[in-house]
Amino acid sequence: MAYTPQDYKSELKPIWCPGCGDYGVVQAIYRALATIGRPPHEIAFVSGIGCSSRIPGYTTAYGFNSVHGRALPIAQGIKIARPELLVLVAGGDGDGFSIGGGHVAHAIRRNVDLTYIVMDNQVYGLTKGQLSPTSPRGFRTVSSPEGSLEDPVNPLMYVLGYGGRFVAQGTPADLSGLTQLVVEGLRYPGFAFINVQSPCVTYGSPDAQLKAHKSSMKNLASLGHDEGNRLRAMELAAEYGRSLYTGIFYRDPEPPPAYEALVAERRRALTDPGASRERVLEKFALR
Amino acid sequence: MTTDLVIGMAGAGGDGVIAAGEALMTAAARSGYRAMMTKSYGPQIRGGESSFHLRIATGEIFNAGTMLDIAVALNWDDFLRFGAELPVGGRTTVVHDGAEGAALPLEGVSPADAVAAPIAEMARTSAGTEKAKNTVVLGLLAGWLGLSADSLLAGVRKRFARKSPEVLAGNERAFAAGLAFAQAHPLRTDRRLCETAPPPSPRWLVDGNEMCAAAALVAGCEFFGGYPITPSSEIMHFLGREIWRHGGTVLQAEDEIAGIGAVIGASFAGRKAMTATSGPGMSLKSEMLGLATIAEVPLVCVNVQRGGPSTGLPTKSEQSDLFQAAFSAHGDAVRPVLAPISVADTCRITIEAFNIAEQFQTPVILLSDADIAQRKEVIDPIDPRAFTIVDRRLPNERELEHYARFQITESGVSPISYPGLEGGNFLASGIEHNERGAPTASGEVHAQMNEKRIRKLAPLKARRDLFSIEGDRDAPIGLVSWGSVAGVASEATAVARREGIQMKLLVPRLLYPISEEVYEDFFASVRAGLVIEQSHQGQLFRIIRMFVDVPRGLESLARSGSNPITVHDVLDRVRQMVVAFQRQRVPQEEPTLG
Repeated sequence: MAYTPQDYKSELKPIWCPGCGDYGVVQAIYRALATIGRPPHEIAFVSGIGCSSRIPGYTTAYGFNSVHGRALPIAQGIKIARPELLVLVAGGDGDGFSIGGGHVAHAIRRNVDLTYIVMDNQVYGLTKGQLSPTSPRGFRTVSSPEGSLEDPVNPLMYVLGYGGRFVAQGTPADLSGLTQLVVEGLRYPGFAFINVQSPCVTYGSPDAQLKAHKSSMKNLASLGHDEGNRLRAMELAAEYGRSLYTGIFYRDPEPPPAYEALVAERRRALTDPGASRERVLEKFALR
Repeated sequence: MTTDLVIGMAGAGGDGVIAAGEALMTAAARSGYRAMMTKSYGPQIRGGESSFHLRIATGEIFNAGTMLDIAVALNWDDFLRFGAELPVGGRTTVVHDGAEGAALPLEGVSPADAVAAPIAEMARTSAGTEKAKNTVVLGLLAGWLGLSADSLLAGVRKRFARKSPEVLAGNERAFAAGLAFAQAHPLRTDRRLCETAPPPSPRWLVDGNEMCAAAALVAGCEFFGGYPITPSSEIMHFLGREIWRHGGTVLQAEDEIAGIGAVIGASFAGRKAMTATSGPGMSLKSEMLGLATIAEVPLVCVNVQRGGPSTGLPTKSEQSDLFQAAFSAHGDAVRPVLAPISVADTCRITIEAFNIAEQFQTPVILLSDADIAQRKEVIDPIDPRAFTIVDRRLPNERELEHYARFQITESGVSPISYPGLEGGNFLASGIEHNERGAPTASGEVHAQMNEKRIRKLAPLKARRDLFSIEGDRDAPIGLVSWGSVAGVASEATAVARREGIQMKLLVPRLLYPISEEVYEDFFASVRAGLVIEQSHQGQLFRIIRMFVDVPRGLESLARSGSNPITVHDVLDRVRQMVVAFQRQRVPQEEPTLG
C-alpha cells in the first residue's frame, strides 16, 4: 500500500507562530514518512518539551510528548522493547543540548536505531525568549539583556565528537533537501542525527540565522564533500554559526549492527525455550 | 539447650567472615532450622573488615534479633567497629583469639563467658595458613552448637572443591581442630541447639533483592532499566543474569533518569517493566514518575531505602522515604506505594506491585529497605502458581474503531494500546490531555482527568489482603508497623500476648493511598498504641493522622536508621501503657496543700 504525506498528518492544528520554521520540518517529516511507507501505527515519535516538541501530536504515529530533555531515553526503551517499530525523536536545541544534553552522548555510543531531529532555533520559544545553548555569544534576550557571555554549543561537532555515525544538517528553506535528509536518516541503520536550522520568528533572529545565509547556503553534496570522511566532516562542522552547510556531513560507510540488533542476537542466544517464569524461584532451593 | 540463638562474628578483610556465616546458615537450614543473616562491611571498597549477625531458631522468626548469644572476635579492632550491629551483653559468650584470662576491651559489661581460643594458631598448625581461621571457627561452632559436622564439612568441601587437594585437606584439618577444641572446652552456658525436624521439602535460602528480582520475572517483567546504587544494585545484577533466558532485556542506563525513561518507553511499547534504585535515585526519578502518572504508563519503581537525606548512610537501613514515595510528585498525583515486611513477603508484594501497575496503569513504588534487601533468610518454598498475574487491559475491536486512549470510564481505567497495534494510535503526553490524547489547557478537562486518575485507584483501598492483622481483635492496645521493622513489632506482639497483655498489630503492605476504613476499623477498639518505624520523624504515623482520626493514646515509636528498634523497646512502651490504664481506673487524688 502506498502512503501519501496526508496519511501522516493529524487533525491537531499546530500552536506554532505563523512563519515558524517548524512548519517546514513537519512537512518534511510527512513527506519522508510517505517515502519510507511504513503505516502510522508502526511508527513511534517521541519528543521532550518545547515549541518543536509538540511535533509528534501533529502526526498520526504513536506519539509521546514527554518531559523536558528526556525524549532519547524513552525512545531507546521503545525501540529496544519493540525493534520492529520505526522510531523518530525530535525536539529543540534546549531540549537536546541543554537539559537533555547528557543523554545525547549515550544515545550515540549505544547506537540504537533512532532518527533524532533537532529543531535548532537558537532561543527558548515556549518560555518566551531566553538564551538557549546554541544562542550566539552576545545574543540579547530577556534573560541576557546585556548580551550572552557564553559560546554556543556546536550540535554538529558535539555529535561527531562523540562518534556519531550519521550527522546531517538541513533547513526548512530547502524543503526537498530536508525531506531527503530525513529519508536518509530513517534509512540509516543506527543513531542518525539531523540538525535543522529552524529559526524562531518571534524571539530569535531569523535574519542572522537563516535569511542572511540563504543566498550563501552551501550544499555539501554539490561541494563534492566525501560523506565517508569524518575528519573533513568535523572541519566543516566547526564552521557552525559562520557558514551554513546543508546535507550529510558524515555517514558511516560501514555501519555496525545497531544496539537492538545486538540485543536481539543476545536474546536468541540466551533465551531458553524450556525456561519457565514460574520456576525462577526454585533457584533458591537449598541443594 | 536452646531454641533460639544469635551469633555474631567480625574480622578483617580476607578472614572469610561472610563465607563462614553463609556456611553456618546453610548447614543450619539443611538441618531444619530457621535462620536470618545480615552482613555488615566497613566503608572500604575492598579488603576492609566485615561481619555477620546470624539468628538460628527452631521455630519461625520475624527479625534478625539483636543481643548476641555468641560473639566471635577474630580481632578486637575489627569487632568493635561493628558496635551497633554486634551488641555484646552480660549474657553473651565471647570467643576471641587472645590470651587466656586477658582483659576484654569491652566497656561496661562482663560477658557471662569468655573463651580464649587460639584460632590463628590452630589454623597455622592444621592448615599451614591463617586463611583457614574461618574454617577453625566453623569447627568450634559445630561443637558448641551441636550443628551437624557432616553438613558443615560438606559445605567446606563444596567451597574448596575447585582449589588444590592440599587446600581442601588443610581446611578439613582446620575444621577438625576447631571441633576438637570445642569438645575439650565445653562452654559454661550451654549453647547447643535443640534438635528440629527436617522440613518436608528443602527450604530456600535467599535475600530480599534476589527475591524482588525473581518475583519480577514471575510477574512477567520483560524489561529492566536502571543505574547502579547501593543497596539496590543486586536487583539489576540478578536480572542481568536471568532476564535474558526469558526473552527480556536489562539496560544499565547512563543515569537514574534515563533508567526510568527507558522503562517508560518499554512500558509504552507494551512490555511490563521495572526500575530499582535508592533514595538519591528516587529524587532524580521524581519527574519521570509524574510523567508515568499523567500519561498512565504502568511501571514498578523499587526503592531499597537507606539512610538519608542525600548520600546519607548508603549501607544502613532506614524507612525515611515514605513521605517522598507518597508526596514527591508535583501536581495532584496519587500513586500506590507498597512495602514488603520480609524476604518471603517481597515475593508476593513485588508481584502485587506489577499487578497493580498493570491493572490501574500507574507507576507503583515498591518500598523495600536495606534490611530486607540485604539479609538472607531461610524460608519455606513458595508456590508461584498461588499468585494471579494481571495483564493490562487492551482495547477490543469495537473500542479501536474510535479509540480514545484516556476515555473517562466508570472505573477510571481506559483500555491501553501499544505502538504496533493498528487503530490504537494515540499521543501519550506529560501535558494535560483530553480523552483522545490531544493536549489541552482546559480547566474542565484537567479537573475531569485528575478525578479519573485518582478515582481509578479507589478499589485499592478496599484491598484488605494488603494488610495483615494479628493479635486480639478487640484489644485496647494496637500497634502499627511496616517494612522490615514489622518483624520486630510482630515478635513483640507475640511476647506481650504470652504475658497476658491484650494487644494487636496492623501491618500495611499498602502504604499509600491510605485506606481510611482499614485504619478506622483497627483503631475502633484501640485506646493506646504505637506506630513503629525506622525514621526520625515517624513518617507513617504522620501520614495516618493526615487521613484518619486516631485514638488519643496513639504514639510514635520511631528512630533514625542504624539505631535498631528492638523487641524490648516495644515491650517497654507497651507495658507502660498497661500501667497507665490501671492508673486511669482510679481517680488520682492530688494532695491538697493545707
